[in-house]
Amino acid sequence: MDALFDIPIIGLVVQFAVYLFDQFPIVAPIIAAAAVPIVLGALCGFMNERSGVVNIGIEGMMLLAAFTAWWTASLSAQLIPTGPGPLGITPALLIGLACGIGAACLASLLHAWLSISVRADQIISGTIINIFAFGITGYLNLLISQQAPPAAGQFSKFLLPGSITQLPVVGFLVKSFVSVGPIAMTMLIGVIVLQVLLFRSRWGLRTRAVGEHPRAAETVGIDVVRLRYRNVILGGVFAGLAGAYLTIEFGNAFQSGMTNGRGFIALAALIFGRWTPIGAFGAAFLFAASVGLERSIRIAPPTGSLGELLTAVPGQFYGALPYLITIVVLAGVVGRSIPPKAVGLPYEREKTGG
Amino acid sequence: MRIQRRHGFVVTLITSALVLAACSSAQIDVGKGLCRVIGDNAAATPAPITASGTSDLKIGVVTDVGTLDDRNFNQYSWEGATGAAASIGAPEPQAIVTQNESQYAANIQSFVDQNYDIIVTVGFAIGAATLEAATANPDIHFIGVDQFQANDPVGNYESLIYSEAQAGYLAGIIAASISKSGEVAGLGGANFIPPVVNYLRGFQNGVASVNADATVHIKYVTDSDLTLAFNDPAGGKSFADQFLAQNTDVDVLFQVAGKTGNGMLQAVEEAGIYGIGVDVDQWASTPDSAECIVTSAEKKLTSSVRTAIEEFAAGTVRDSNQFLGADTEMIGLAPYYQFADLITSEIQGKVDTAFDAMAGGTLDPCAPNACFTGDPDPGT
Repeated sequence: MDALFDIPIIGLVVQFAVYLFDQFPIVAPIIAAAAVPIVLGALCGFMNERSGVVNIGIEGMMLLAAFTAWWTASLSAQLIPTGPGPLGITPALLIGLACGIGAACLASLLHAWLSISVRADQIISGTIINIFAFGITGYLNLLISQQAPPAAGQFSKFLLPGSITQLPVVGFLVKSFVSVGPIAMTMLIGVIVLQVLLFRSRWGLRTRAVGEHPRAAETVGIDVVRLRYRNVILGGVFAGLAGAYLTIEFGNAFQSGMTNGRGFIALAALIFGRWTPIGAFGAAFLFAASVGLERSIRIAPPTGSLGELLTAVPGQFYGALPYLITIVVLAGVVGRSIPPKAVGLPYEREKTGG
Repeated sequence: MRIQRRHGFVVTLITSALVLAACSSAQIDVGKGLCRVIGDNAAATPAPITASGTSDLKIGVVTDVGTLDDRNFNQYSWEGATGAAASIGAPEPQAIVTQNESQYAANIQSFVDQNYDIIVTVGFAIGAATLEAATANPDIHFIGVDQFQANDPVGNYESLIYSEAQAGYLAGIIAASISKSGEVAGLGGANFIPPVVNYLRGFQNGVASVNADATVHIKYVTDSDLTLAFNDPAGGKSFADQFLAQNTDVDVLFQVAGKTGNGMLQAVEEAGIYGIGVDVDQWASTPDSAECIVTSAEKKLTSSVRTAIEEFAAGTVRDSNQFLGADTEMIGLAPYYQFADLITSEIQGKVDTAFDAMAGGTLDPCAPNACFTGDPDPGT
């Protein structure tokens, strides 16, 4: 092995492969946990963009949901103090989750109304939601932190016996995707269900039609406006889950501006994943993995010449990696990523007789 | 029927026994199970202050972004000001709570316009605005908490700098003493911010003073991005999760990463290991993780602000840069609360000895491992 490591360049590549192979099983569950809000955010974007509505307000919707879920859960925990059931589920957390989703859906309704009914610029509408969410959650957080109720706790992981999570080869996969909390579980289900529905169901066909060529869809009797409304609001559910995940599953506290760009990364994942749920899922994992790699290099740098090389690379490089990859994909270097044709275009019904 | 009833009775008995057993055990069975249920450990109420005279000094406090009762810098600085006002017999101080970084200068100016005599500004970030106001208003006395004047200090501006290395050293003694595995960690936000590096290198030296064979991991979240370093709790939790997955023997974690660090304390709670907080008593400031917080490396904000005001009122002329440490009891460890019996008198003895030696100047917390030298710290 050592002889192999010493070959110039190839040796480094081999060392890197060994390092990744060594680190991945340990880091995979953490990468998976970090990817959940990005995947859920991307599913929100998917619901919007596939039906022809650009949504750059995912970040704001997530932030609203994060705050609302945390706050309402804390309030209800004082009214209904119950011990946690399986998966750490308490009535208070469920109320928080529902309210978080509700808040994101309300923001989605606003976005739908502005971009579908009012036919405003969809980028502006999304920007409004982002700015509004940042301001209102920051302000309310300041107000209520005067008498902050104790946090309601958080959903906990589905714990499996060590004999399963320590299985060779599949153990870490089980730990990453099965031994997780309830919201993380909905992510995997959401990805699979949406992927199947998009290409195998009537709803999927209609959604694709509305996103590609709404006029043609209308002529075969699809109510474009209604379908867009429905999809945009349903998309809010996923943004709500993403936000609630941050404050009542992954963590247990709210911090002003805590989504920290995850909504935008979700959008990049959607684009990188070519507007499909599975693609966005893979992209989000790649993004989370590049952050995980940076952390691994900080926490447990590889030894030898590879270690010297990797630690010499500035940390910013690893942080920028997801965006570099997205640019490469958008530039069409690694296959083209083509958006739905009608995305961003407000739809106006043809005048009768016209 | 009878038998079933009896079964029911037995089941009830066993269940209640289990519940009772669960309640009476103070340990929390998560991860390594080192955390403990918080008992009735409310912080002691301070003794009432009797005025030693009367004074007509008007004291204003401009806080950092946040709230006045943040159980952090703002609150404890404010309590220092109210305490000082009570002890010198001055009118109740007034506070302006900054909502946004752009308001620093305007908030200070508002006290200047109302002819205040002492203006206390809170936090490192408001330092530049304070320096400017102090230069423009030489008749007003300014006190800057957690600030430092690198260039020609201004006479009417007293900046309070705390010895993070000394506080970190004390935390290191605790960490080395309570660790069962002899492997502890200090996780910092950014490796180029002097106070962060000083805390962690002091911590490392403190650990080594108790157990020379102990492994001390010092890791930093980032070497460039301040948002990631201090304002990203979810990222901090991921970082600590990953660190603990890669170093499974670590059973004490000291965080020096602001709000990013609050996420690290959540990871500590999930791993069921001991956590040590930073700057203020984090048992009180982050109650959601309090079950695992053994103590905090603390800057004694309240007493340092109070002393600064009292000294000014008494007419003492003090240096513009006030280096505060063990000698004036301005750094130290927060109470242990539910972990009080974990810190034996032997451990407390080591803490007290080190504290006295640092106060006397015979113990350098920045040796053998040097504190911030101007270059980013590579960690260990």
